[in-house]
Amino acid sequence: MSAPESRPAPEPRSPLAGHLKPGRHGAAGSRPLVLREVPATIVELAARRGRAAELAAAVRGALALDLPPPGRGAAAAGATALWIQPDTWLVVAPRGTEGALAAHLKGVAGAAGSVVDQSHGKTLLHLAGADARAALGKGCRIDLDPAAFGPGRAAVTQMAQVGCVLYQHDDVPSFSLIVPSSYAIPFFDWLCHSAAEFGYEVP
Amino acid sequence: MTRMHRRPAMRARTGGHIDRDTTLTFRFDGRELTGHPGDTLASALLAHGVRIVGRSFKYHRPRGIYTAGPEEPNALAGIGTGARRTPNTKMTAAELYQGMVAESQNRWPSLRFDALAVNSALARFLPAGFYYKTFMWPASFWEKVYEPAIRRAAGLGRAATEPDPDHYEAAHAHCDVLVVGAGAAGLAAARAAGESGARVILAEQDFLLGGGLLADPVHEGWRREMTAALEALGNVVRMPRTTVFGYYEQNMLGAIERVADHLPEPPPHTARQRYWTIRAREVVLATGADERLIAFPGNDRPGVMLAGAARAYANRFGVLAGRRAVLFTNNDAAYATVEALAAAGADRVTVVDTRPLGPAAAAARTRGVEVLPGHEVVGAHGGRGLYSVEARARGGDGGFQIDADLLCVSGGYNPAIHLASQSRTPLAWDSGIAAFVPGTAAGQRSAGAARGRFGIAAAARDGMEAGGAAAAAAGFARRPAFELPAGGADPDLTVAPFWEVTARGKSFVDLQHDVTTADIRLAHREGYEHIEHAKRYTTHGMATDQGKTGGLVGAAVLAEARGLPVEAVGMPTFRPYVTPITWGAVAGHHIRREFAPIRRTQLHDWHVRRGAEFLEAGLWLRPAFYPRPGEAPWDAILREGAAVRRSVGICDVSTLGKIDLQGADAAFFLDRLYMNTFSTLAVGRARYGLMLREDGMVFDDGTTTRLADDHFFITTTTANAGRVMEHMEFHAQTVWPELDVQFTSVTDQWAAMSVAGPNARRTLAKVVAGLDLDNAAFPFMGVADATLAGCPVRVFRISFSGELAFEVATPAGYAAIVWEAILEAGREFAIEPYGVEALGLLRIEKGHVAGAELNGQTTAADVGLERMAKKKGDFVGKALAGRPGLTDPARPRLVGVRAVAPDQQIRPGAHLLEAGSDRSLGWLASVTKSVEPGGWIGLALLSGGAARHGQRLQASFPLHGESVEVEICSPHFVDPENARVRA
Amino acid sequence: MHLITCPWCGPRDEAEFAYRGDATVARPAADAGIDAFYDYVYTRANPRGWHTEWWHHAAGCHQFVKVVRHTLTHAIAATGKPTDTLPVPAE
Repeated sequence: MSAPESRPAPEPRSPLAGHLKPGRHGAAGSRPLVLREVPATIVELAARRGRAAELAAAVRGALALDLPPPGRGAAAAGATALWIQPDTWLVVAPRGTEGALAAHLKGVAGAAGSVVDQSHGKTLLHLAGADARAALGKGCRIDLDPAAFGPGRAAVTQMAQVGCVLYQHDDVPSFSLIVPSSYAIPFFDWLCHSAAEFGYEVP
Repeated sequence: MTRMHRRPAMRARTGGHIDRDTTLTFRFDGRELTGHPGDTLASALLAHGVRIVGRSFKYHRPRGIYTAGPEEPNALAGIGTGARRTPNTKMTAAELYQGMVAESQNRWPSLRFDALAVNSALARFLPAGFYYKTFMWPASFWEKVYEPAIRRAAGLGRAATEPDPDHYEAAHAHCDVLVVGAGAAGLAAARAAGESGARVILAEQDFLLGGGLLADPVHEGWRREMTAALEALGNVVRMPRTTVFGYYEQNMLGAIERVADHLPEPPPHTARQRYWTIRAREVVLATGADERLIAFPGNDRPGVMLAGAARAYANRFGVLAGRRAVLFTNNDAAYATVEALAAAGADRVTVVDTRPLGPAAAAARTRGVEVLPGHEVVGAHGGRGLYSVEARARGGDGGFQIDADLLCVSGGYNPAIHLASQSRTPLAWDSGIAAFVPGTAAGQRSAGAARGRFGIAAAARDGMEAGGAAAAAAGFARRPAFELPAGGADPDLTVAPFWEVTARGKSFVDLQHDVTTADIRLAHREGYEHIEHAKRYTTHGMATDQGKTGGLVGAAVLAEARGLPVEAVGMPTFRPYVTPITWGAVAGHHIRREFAPIRRTQLHDWHVRRGAEFLEAGLWLRPAFYPRPGEAPWDAILREGAAVRRSVGICDVSTLGKIDLQGADAAFFLDRLYMNTFSTLAVGRARYGLMLREDGMVFDDGTTTRLADDHFFITTTTANAGRVMEHMEFHAQTVWPELDVQFTSVTDQWAAMSVAGPNARRTLAKVVAGLDLDNAAFPFMGVADATLAGCPVRVFRISFSGELAFEVATPAGYAAIVWEAILEAGREFAIEPYGVEALGLLRIEKGHVAGAELNGQTTAADVGLERMAKKKGDFVGKALAGRPGLTDPARPRLVGVRAVAPDQQIRPGAHLLEAGSDRSLGWLASVTKSVEPGGWIGLALLSGGAARHGQRLQASFPLHGESVEVEICSPHFVDPENARVRA
Repeated sequence: MHLITCPWCGPRDEAEFAYRGDATVARPAADAGIDAFYDYVYTRANPRGWHTEWWHHAAGCHQFVKVVRHTLTHAIAATGKPTDTLPVPAE
């Protein structure tokens, strides 16, 4: 089916609208965590059966992005790809025109890949600070110690009963957390509670 | 803390690990008392000479402090006030804080006078198994009379009834080496592993690290050096106040960190307790050993205490537990208590040693201590305290009294094998120490006293080796280099087992549950010979202390009765929790509103503003109906339903499961999953589908749309969304892995709203752009993309209500914009939002089945959908749907039901009977008050099905004493020709 | 709590998985008849010892993982992908 012509869509409403309270929260401390929601375009990209290499080459050519192996993410100038299941990735980019990245990826992938826009279905949070691991460790059952996890690592896991895609950016450490939008409020509430001991700031 | 207090009578001027410069005040049973930082509640009470701290479980005998640690059977208190009061807290492990309020338990009206102490005089009528035998019948009396009375009489503490104001949380940790226990062995193990480079966690239940070292002034220098060295190692996490309570599969251990129990209340933003799950590659159990009691008459009297405890009070807390002490022992290690008491200022210590005169006894004699070798204690006398100890030559007649206010008892030491036992590590009998010791298992080793390596130097050496070996097993081979404790030869810890003094009177083997040697023998006489049976019959070892002080003694008494060695009788298997933990810690963050995550649609806030009453649907909250001020629920539901039948309504159906399916084999895959065919569906069209389980029963239903040749959009019911995804994944990955299919949940990506009613098209036509909604251009079951209020939408012409209807889906972030625009467009038609209740009303009127009918026990034929089955090709459930039991024509089939008197309520679950018969022919699955035809109607599954249309039956609901006359009819109450949906 | 090594994600806590039963049974051919399907759906060996079973990594990569687990000791001998043939220890 062809998409009808339209002017640019309005700004989408965040599932956390009215729930994020900017400012300093929790314990007073010298190194608060920073917690924010990041407006994003999130597209799920899956290789058709037996065509993962073809898809990877197409994506590399068009986006200069290497689709990463299991347990890893890969960042390029405009987008980050996170492995989520065999031959399947989330491509995460700053929020742009509604549907544009999905349409672009569909064109790039052709018959080698299946593309699904998940920009509204998933909510991207960003948590950074020296105590980020300890805060996440209150719900995350995987080992986030530098000996076991680190920049560039990604994981699909569960925290506080909510499915979550986790990606570590750097050694600060800072993390991206992607959760289903209908769970965004309980997940965010849990994360705030877990961060409160260290103090946190919502910009 | 500023008031001056007199030094309590039993507190030494110097020594120990307490801060005498700071005085803490606390209350015990209303009395204001003082202590110091470093005290436990027990040590502070002993310093004031407090003897009776509780009454026993069954006989209400006065009891005193028996131990100096978490193995305590007697000294339980409720600590804290109001909502923060925690019952059954061990005074011997409770860290004293300023303002602590503690209350003794299981006494009424007071500790000194207890009304139920009469139970003790009645003891011969209260043997083991008494409750089982006496309160057996009449059966109805158990719940109403006996149990409440017994619970009042024989309770532990009472829980606070107010909601707990504190926060508890979970936490997860990973390490190469987990060391449990920070005594000599644990400190050495942690340092050895730490210096090798491994990630180490050292968990210690006490608030100080050191274990037995804390009661040993000789090795204090080494303890300090070790704790400082551990602090300097960045890869070692020290966790004091952390009890490892459980050992689970693949080296997962559970622990409770008491973050703020030593404070009146937690600091802001801090949890009171943390429930840790620790995954360790290697575990070192350095849990030490528990001293065991000896069974003799009166061995539970206040003033009787384990020898090691008396030594700990003297050396660690500077508290003299008694001035005129008797030590009753079968081993040399206990002689250290003689020195400790003497140093703390005891007037006199007399040793009653069960053995012939040995070197330790001789050495004590040379220091002027009176020693009675080859003797035993046969009684402890006194009222509320201890006045004298009765002793005699072993096995002799008569006896003599020794004036005493403290009787220290040592029957040897049991390695603390609880965690090893939980992990199913094999246990072996060590006859040298007369105790069970753990072996090693994959990823686990015990060290120090926990495996019978008693004495500071031996334990430290063993711990260092275990820590190094654990680190090496985890891949860290660097050799540690540090000094082991010097000086002080370890005492000889071999013992000749001595379990019991045979004499008249109650000899306890389980102080917390009031189990005596006589109870164990009774269990044996009555046939409960196996240790696990005797345990349950007598409740020996089943109290919250898990029989740490007397468990093996009870086993030995049973062994003696059976004529077997104790190692042949064995110990019951230990289970979590090693010590009790609070419910708050188990629940953690997930209580009340956070019990499970609440899923909200993007329209949730609108529903709230509109005053919706909500209904839980799985984890979702859905609007049930939107009452106007003062409007009764049924009035609101009927108003919303009538709006759809007569004009137009709008309903948030975002919670329906949605799955995006792509791939060259997508259509083929759907044909395999659904009983009907999808490969023939045209692009841009939707089709209703029915999915069976492999057993032939209906699994789920929903509408599937073909967006392209190789691209489908599937909807599922709200309840089954997750299960359908898993079902698809199972078949795609394990049954037909050769298929080219990719699918993912898009439930949260798309918001969806149903716009239904005769004015639905007129409403939408005002706001939908880029799509001609005319019947010819966009017929029933058509699907097309469009825009609405500038937002991309996908419009489905499908209907659940039986009216002309459209489902409008939009990327979820636009839901509110699209919803408001449709409401505005529908204002001229008096559009009403409708909730799940009206949705149910409408579908029952139309005869559409839902979860109440598709309950996992119905076939397609049962619900009248058998014609959907494709004739050719395989699909899940096809074979077993053909089983005779599932094709039996007598199976209950879907029918409609209406109350003959329309206002007469009928209930789901009611059975359908012929008048005068009590044989059920079927049951009502769903009911509603209706808009059309009016009155109470329902859908039922009825044997005979359509053949009974027109019959009158009774809808019987015996629980409510109801029997309502109903008429059986077609399930399609509304528009059976399906004209409206095609209008 | 088990620690199950997902062939894709590595060692993960049991809490992320859903048990999905016997992995030694295979769906019969479409025309195999009711008895064959009956066995496929209902007939189970219920062994005391090693058992090859499905664990769905529901809170992870959504893959079905084959696990050789001892039903008495809960030891795990091997894990793999659906198409892997896993060795089952003798004892």
